[in-house]
Amino acid sequence: MDASILSKLLGSLAISIALLAIPVQGQQLAPTAQQTIEKMLTEPQDIGLDTAAPGTRWNGLTTNQGNATEVHTLNGMLELAARSNPTILQAQYQITGQLAKAQQAGLYPNPMIAYIAENIGVEGTAGEWQGAELEQRFVTAGKLQLSRDKYLQRAKVAEHLAVAQQFRVCNDVRIHYFKTLAAQQILDLQKELLKTAEDDLATTREMFNAGQANQVDLHRANSELRRQQLSVLQAENRIRREFLQLSSLVGMELAFLPLSGDLRTASDLIDYDTVAQRVLSQSPEILAAHSKLREDQITINRESVEWVPDVIVGGGVGRNFEANDTTGALSVRMELPIYDRNQGTYRQAQADYVRQQKEILRTEMDLKMRLAMQYETYLTAAQHVLTYEEMVLPQLKQAYATSLQGYKEDRLAWPHVLHSYRDYTLRRIEYTEQLLARRTSEVLINGFLLHGGLNPAPGATPPGHLDATPNPR
Amino acid sequence: MERETSPRRQFIKSGMLAAASLAAGTTLSAQESVDPEEAATPQAGPITSPPVSDGTKKSPVRDEYDGFSRFKPSRGNDPDSDYYLGKLVPGFRTTEEGPAPFIAPDLEKLPYVMKDGAKQFELVAQNVRREFLPGYEMDVWGYNGSMPGPTIEVTQGDRVRIIVHNELPEPTTVHWHGFELPVQQDGSMTLTQNPIMPGKSYVYEFDIHEEGTFFYHSHVAMQEAFGMVGWFIVHPKKVFDPPVDRDFGLLFQNFHIKANQTISNSWSMDWNWHTINGRSGPFTTPLVVKHGERVRIRLLDFSPMQHHPIHLHGHTFWLTGREGARTPKSAWIPRNTELVGVAQAAEFEFIANNPGDWMFHCHMVHHMMNHMVEQVGPRIREGSNVDAYMTNLDQRPPVDMKHSEGFATPGYPQGMQGMQMSEKFMKAIWSRREVQGMRATWPKSVHGLMTLLRVLPDDLYQQVMETDDVPKGAIFEEIVQRFGTPETYQKAPLMKMGH
Repeated sequence: MDASILSKLLGSLAISIALLAIPVQGQQLAPTAQQTIEKMLTEPQDIGLDTAAPGTRWNGLTTNQGNATEVHTLNGMLELAARSNPTILQAQYQITGQLAKAQQAGLYPNPMIAYIAENIGVEGTAGEWQGAELEQRFVTAGKLQLSRDKYLQRAKVAEHLAVAQQFRVCNDVRIHYFKTLAAQQILDLQKELLKTAEDDLATTREMFNAGQANQVDLHRANSELRRQQLSVLQAENRIRREFLQLSSLVGMELAFLPLSGDLRTASDLIDYDTVAQRVLSQSPEILAAHSKLREDQITINRESVEWVPDVIVGGGVGRNFEANDTTGALSVRMELPIYDRNQGTYRQAQADYVRQQKEILRTEMDLKMRLAMQYETYLTAAQHVLTYEEMVLPQLKQAYATSLQGYKEDRLAWPHVLHSYRDYTLRRIEYTEQLLARRTSEVLINGFLLHGGLNPAPGATPPGHLDATPNPR
Repeated sequence: MERETSPRRQFIKSGMLAAASLAAGTTLSAQESVDPEEAATPQAGPITSPPVSDGTKKSPVRDEYDGFSRFKPSRGNDPDSDYYLGKLVPGFRTTEEGPAPFIAPDLEKLPYVMKDGAKQFELVAQNVRREFLPGYEMDVWGYNGSMPGPTIEVTQGDRVRIIVHNELPEPTTVHWHGFELPVQQDGSMTLTQNPIMPGKSYVYEFDIHEEGTFFYHSHVAMQEAFGMVGWFIVHPKKVFDPPVDRDFGLLFQNFHIKANQTISNSWSMDWNWHTINGRSGPFTTPLVVKHGERVRIRLLDFSPMQHHPIHLHGHTFWLTGREGARTPKSAWIPRNTELVGVAQAAEFEFIANNPGDWMFHCHMVHHMMNHMVEQVGPRIREGSNVDAYMTNLDQRPPVDMKHSEGFATPGYPQGMQGMQMSEKFMKAIWSRREVQGMRATWPKSVHGLMTLLRVLPDDLYQQVMETDDVPKGAIFEEIVQRFGTPETYQKAPLMKMGH
């Protein structure tokens, strides 16, 4: 081997040894690699709620719930909604509109006045007859009264529909009030779960430091904490959404304040047969349908006399320049109902009447179907609430208390306690959801199954119905 | 033989004055004190009474044998000597007085009647509740209201008749473990007899030609794991020489009982409760002996599947026999720790020549505590307490995510924080006469398969065993005064329980 190569090799070897020696000389003595473990025990650095999904937190509504002295109440919300919900006003104007139609439909026809010049220039005169005539239509067969009755009856229909709209609004306000209330409670419970997830991470780190958990467990605990933080954010988003929806139903912008109230109800269990009978006999929808049927009957009556001709009488005074004499004029006219005896419209009115009969039946069936669905939800929720109150929650609470006692006595490991509390809290969330479901169903059942408090208030006229315009009849 | 008056014995005698000074806080008085010279002399008495020294009589025993002293830690001059490590050094009791009474702390003896030339015992198999620790009553199975069952004690050559009543809801049999009996009496379920059905009885009867340490147990495996065992001690016709002053029996068992549960899972492959004669440390009753006595400890491991290396502090003992038979003296071996396997018995003999409170325990780390759980959670967190969680079950306290400084050391914590001992618990622990005068903190160190050997000079023995209300630490401090270095002694901090 070349001497120079050998010397280079030896030189590089010496440098390598020297480089190796430097860190050894400067290295501090440590029993174990603490840095690595410390890193494991502190990552991620910041596990606070603000670091979950940073920059996306919904801060539109803020309040300090814990220290709030002002609260919203359900009655306050209902009063506000009665004044401000636009659909309630719409419904009132629907009544006004029908009353106005009734007024219009009963007005007597105005007389006609005409100046008549006939045969102008005959025989060099100004005309055979020039004068003024007054003509009046005499309405027969009580048509105007029937028309007025028809629209007055429609006004009654509109009144029932307005009541229905009030139920829609009030039901929705109640439901969304309870939804917001439930969201508040669920947020509190999710925060309890968050504390438990934080404890789980702290516990896992403690176990890691004692060799009872490994890196896999740490990653899992970190991940679970993040997931729980997202659940809290989700609960925050939910409460804001519910409150904004409630605010919309009330019909005005409301400042966010905590809601007071209790999701539980003191009402007895609703009996299906009783409530079904009540809904079918007292529902505003049913009452409106029956009113509409009466209106359809009036319409038939109205259309049945439409063929009776009105009598149009005219008369006047004029100058006959040809005869150089003042003469009068008189005319009596009436339509001969030879071809058009209103038979088509009459049939249409009759068809409307039958259709409305079926509409009553349809409404009953629809109410039954909605009630069946709602009662199923109600009964299921009531069963859950009852059983959760009597057994599930007390048992889980006792399980948690017993596990705490076991831990206190040094017989049970802390992760078991965390599991017990998590289980208890998850079931409390389920219980809250069932309370909400029961309350919602209860409101709908007691409120004739009406909801949709921001849908346009419906009018008294069903689609496709005969309606004379511009002069209603 | 006239006993020598050694400097140490003089010290013991003079120490009585110091002991008398304890009277301010104890019931010890000049009238009640016993002259140590007297205390070292054996006294004939009923078999159930421990020997009481009478210094006015001539003692058949000496203080020293070939350099081995019965009153101080010593080995002797010659390993080949009969007296090396106290091997054949007799106790204060003579062979003429018969065998020393067998005492299994915390267990009763099974009475018998003589009938048709046999000692007739009645054994009732039944479920029982046993208080493993104060407040921890466990549901197990045993005999005659006890787990382990009551001790059957007979003499070699006796004929025994044991009528077994089955009050269990399932069949059982009883096996007389170790006896060379007629096969029909062996108690092997279905192999040698039909099962004893629930509500039925069965009579076992056989002659006993063996002597030694035996036991009885159900021959249904799960019933064995559930606690159905008891001592069967056969004293030799010819009392073993050298005679012992104390004959103790310690029966080791394991159970698996979940938290907030009282029923043992006999199917478990894991074991979290450990008992000696049905109690766990610190509820096990210490073995209290007098300074200089010859002591025999019979130890039976009836754990379902755990062997136990048994260790005695402060003494070297001779392994004089296993459950098969007494070992010829030429084969005795001195030990500090002896491994005792499942269903094995071992007999240890030694001279209690080292005063003090000595641990006697299984050396398996996890057997030196009960129901071990991971030491995490509020217990190890600063400013955290589980009581804060119990005040409001619907809301839990927040957790501080910051670590304590201890976490700078990987592996922290290693020290078990220990269970919280309630006042009631501590009162029960201190209620036993045998623990009087021990250091206030002793219950913190005795758990699971642990008990204590207390070696006390006569006067202190009398204080502990015959007087009441001995203050915490008084006896131990007196031993330090007499045998230790009092100038370096630090008192134990009083535990906060007030007992």
